[in-house]
Amino acid sequence: MINALSGVDYAASAMSAERMRMDVVGQNIANANVTDGVDGGPYRRQQVVFESFLQDARQIQAGGASPTGVRVSRIDQDTRAPRMIYDPTHPKANKTTGLVAMPNVNMHEEMVDMITSSRAFEANLMVVKTARTLAMQTLGIGKR
Amino acid sequence: MGGTAVAWLRHRKAYHQMIEALFNQPNMMAAKKLLDVSVLRHEAIASNLANLETPNYKRLDVSREFETQLQQAIGTRDTHRLNGMTPQIGVDKTAVASRRDGNTVDFEKELVHLNRNGVEHAVESHVITGALLKLRLAITGRAA
Repeated sequence: MINALSGVDYAASAMSAERMRMDVVGQNIANANVTDGVDGGPYRRQQVVFESFLQDARQIQAGGASPTGVRVSRIDQDTRAPRMIYDPTHPKANKTTGLVAMPNVNMHEEMVDMITSSRAFEANLMVVKTARTLAMQTLGIGKR
Repeated sequence: MGGTAVAWLRHRKAYHQMIEALFNQPNMMAAKKLLDVSVLRHEAIASNLANLETPNYKRLDVSREFETQLQQAIGTRDTHRLNGMTPQIGVDKTAVASRRDGNTVDFEKELVHLNRNGVEHAVESHVITGALLKLRLAITGRAA
């Protein structure tokens, strides 16, 4: 039987994945100036990796492709080199060169990520709203 | 009173066929099938929007071939053939990747598909409602 609110599960999984991405963006922005990260060096930018997954075995359709949900498969560390700034008065500055290793967080990138994430979230919300409209239209069959 | 019950039993099969025929006219059946297509397509679009940023995700859709096959089946006015048709979700082979991650989903196009599908669903349910109301008018002799 076709689910009455079709597609809502996929949208929900994507929304929680986008929320996770937003969390990570927030973490990156919050730590943009942290020179003493948990592993000693400057904070390293984190990024989420999305993957599709089947929500249950019944979704595997004979002969056709199956719709899939989304989840965060892992959170990767950005391997780009830390940003070096010249500030000899900084307690973490290199004694000879005066350079400080700052996190490799690029504020503009984070802002773009945040907006993309927010738009994707809205699109999935739209799917839920449309699913509701479809269900209400179906329930209204036979009424004028 | 007893006479009608006996008549009912004797002609049960005929009555049954008559009632079936009321609801299984080719056009009505086609509208029902198209409603199934709309709900299934919504599911595919939900999956596409959920996987907006999943690398290598390929766009899903109910193939447009189904609609042409349905059109041919309506032409034959063969209700059995119509009844046997089931729409299926498959990978949309016409979609091309516009991004380097191999994902073939286009955000804007997908939103247009979402809205168009909603309107199509509204039209189809309206057609079915119209047919049912006409039947009721014919039975009761007054507009409901």
